[in-house]
Amino acid sequence: MTILTMIAKMSEGLGRTCAIFFLTLLFSLPLGMLVALLRMSKNRAVSTVTKVYISVLRGTPLMLQLLAVTYGPFYLFGLGVAREKLVPVIIAFALNYAAYFAEIYRGGIESIGRGQYEAAEVLGYSRYQCFLRIILPQVVKRILPSVTNEVVTLVKDTSMAFTVAYQEMFTIGKQIANSQTSFMPFVIAGVFYFLFNAAVAFVMGAFEKRLSYYR
Amino acid sequence: MSKLLEINHCRKRFDATRVLEDLSLSVEKGQVLSIIGPSGSGKTTLLRCATLLETMDGGDLIYLGNYAARDEGGTSVYAPPAELQRIRGMFGLVFQNFNLFPHYSVLKNVTEPPILVQHRNPAEVRDQAMALLEQMGLADKADAYPYQLSGGQQQRVSIARALALNPKILFFDEPTSALDPELTGEILRVIRKLAEEKMTMVIVTHEMMFARDVSDWVVFMNEGVIVEQGDPREVIDHPTQERTIQFLRRLQEK
Amino acid sequence: MMKKSLALLLALSLVLAASLALADTFKMGIDAEYPPFSYLDDNGEYAGFDVEMCKAVCEMNGWDLEIVPVNWDFKLNSLDSGEHDCVWSGMTILDSMKEAGYVLSFPYYDNTQVVLTKEGNGIATTADLAGKRVAVQLGTSGQELLENDQSALSATFEGGAAVTMENFNICGTELAAGSVDAVVIDLPVAQTLQKKFSGLVILDENLGSEQYGICFRSGDDALCAQVEEGIMKLVEDGTYLSLAEKYGLDPNVLCLLPKAE
Repeated sequence: MTILTMIAKMSEGLGRTCAIFFLTLLFSLPLGMLVALLRMSKNRAVSTVTKVYISVLRGTPLMLQLLAVTYGPFYLFGLGVAREKLVPVIIAFALNYAAYFAEIYRGGIESIGRGQYEAAEVLGYSRYQCFLRIILPQVVKRILPSVTNEVVTLVKDTSMAFTVAYQEMFTIGKQIANSQTSFMPFVIAGVFYFLFNAAVAFVMGAFEKRLSYYR
Repeated sequence: MSKLLEINHCRKRFDATRVLEDLSLSVEKGQVLSIIGPSGSGKTTLLRCATLLETMDGGDLIYLGNYAARDEGGTSVYAPPAELQRIRGMFGLVFQNFNLFPHYSVLKNVTEPPILVQHRNPAEVRDQAMALLEQMGLADKADAYPYQLSGGQQQRVSIARALALNPKILFFDEPTSALDPELTGEILRVIRKLAEEKMTMVIVTHEMMFARDVSDWVVFMNEGVIVEQGDPREVIDHPTQERTIQFLRRLQEK
Repeated sequence: MMKKSLALLLALSLVLAASLALADTFKMGIDAEYPPFSYLDDNGEYAGFDVEMCKAVCEMNGWDLEIVPVNWDFKLNSLDSGEHDCVWSGMTILDSMKEAGYVLSFPYYDNTQVVLTKEGNGIATTADLAGKRVAVQLGTSGQELLENDQSALSATFEGGAAVTMENFNICGTELAAGSVDAVVIDLPVAQTLQKKFSGLVILDENLGSEQYGICFRSGDDALCAQVEEGIMKLVEDGTYLSLAEKYGLDPNVLCLLPKAE
């Protein structure tokens, strides 16, 4: 098998890798905000439950969570296992990443001084307007570097999906490596991830630059 | 003259500490009232209660006859949120630390509240904002961001921001305390000019000379109560109460 | 700086430990999830036909046995890097291994690739697999088979290829749960899975014959010969057969036994 054939075969799985990446961001970024707000709730029960959720998801391996979401229902309740693995994969990834994003958001929100809230309140902004117009834009700027870190990690984490037989790029790479007794597919995978992350760094850098007009 | 603001028998405590005790105060239209006193005397808390940033434990808070809070059996009962929101439109507050929105340009800091909160015509608000900035000597800074301005300039923007909402009364919480001494003058000039225009104002300040010159009425507070009040020249130049005399003497020594 | 020297020290001590251990330790690389050849038994000890054979060979040679569970996808990489001295774990001998220069022992077991399915899936022959979801363990000869000799068959599967799974447990789970319809798998492993999950059936069709052997690093011909010699002794003294019986392996596939005339 030539390197070009390997690249072509692995590219077939790249679509699935991208699906994990984009769908995880699509769901976990807003879900993380919800979790962060619940975590900061004045209701003790709500904030405690959320705290436990965050510490469990951050404190256990993603691989375990993938297995639990995919096969847990079968072993615990005798329910079926999803034929289309994208669904459990996205659920596990989104829940996991939401926990990480939630803590980043919380740190960002708590770093905004009380004065900003008070100024908005006295000027007559509703709580909703204050959060959306005054607090959130400043939070976004502050947390962008940490979010970039997580997004870069997510690119590499997509390869975890192999544990539940989701045929993404790295899984295909391993198949080829095996049947060809070759290390080349891993080199190709490395280059793929590197280029993917270079694109991520470029996009996030552009965001940061756009927000650098103020301090 | 009609009463613009009335505070009756205000009480406030933080945990076990009594901050304000049976404090009453009223401000009439066009009046400039200064509140002076040592730190920890409750001046800022009084201002925060008046601007609804803190809730009083007991007492009335009335703007132009509208009750924001009414004392019922020793407990302040606040009006529903919609009414409080309406009352918020009657006053403005200038903070010690300016609290400008750093992600907005100077102009947007001034124009967004009237457009968003009062649903006013954006073009008209813009014209008013530019006029206010002109008045503050900041017309050329309209497109700058707060971080590019000096403290004095930022404070002038925050005054413009408060004025853009056309408040009936403007509160100042130690407006020059966060500024370098050489920058306090420009803020005091702006406030003096507003006083000449008959803007109703309540100013918490440490600037005795300024309080004496600009205000019609001075209130000296200590440990949560009003110790002495009256004509500024009387209170500041000829205090009658022992605490006031001590405070003013200590201030002079510095 | 501190970190760097610490890492260096660690690396050095690893090398030292490795070279010391080499003296009389035989490191056996296994897939720890491959019953009945190599797996963790109920007591948490490594067990299986291959594991016990290896133990006996080591005893014979006076070696200490160290069992190294490996990532099956990377078994040849970890063999190359010296993490273990051989791969001995129901491993199918592939031509590509010989081409890559690895030293392979004689075959000690005849294996067949079969189709494991579930009752009621409506699969009686390989022809019934058309349009079905078929799984195979990543990195096994089953995968190799479907990509080469049986590629025409795998093209009929749902999605035009088999789904690769991380290990046979997951294959069995998905089959039992109904999220895959069939698994292409080594016969003895299929028989083990049958004991674990109820309602699984093996199709009476041989997808491909192959042989299990032991893989050594290139240049380790002497070590290979020594192990082969040990195995032959175990064949002669009957251990080979009795172990096969202990682990429920069909004696017909024990290719080292003298053929009954």
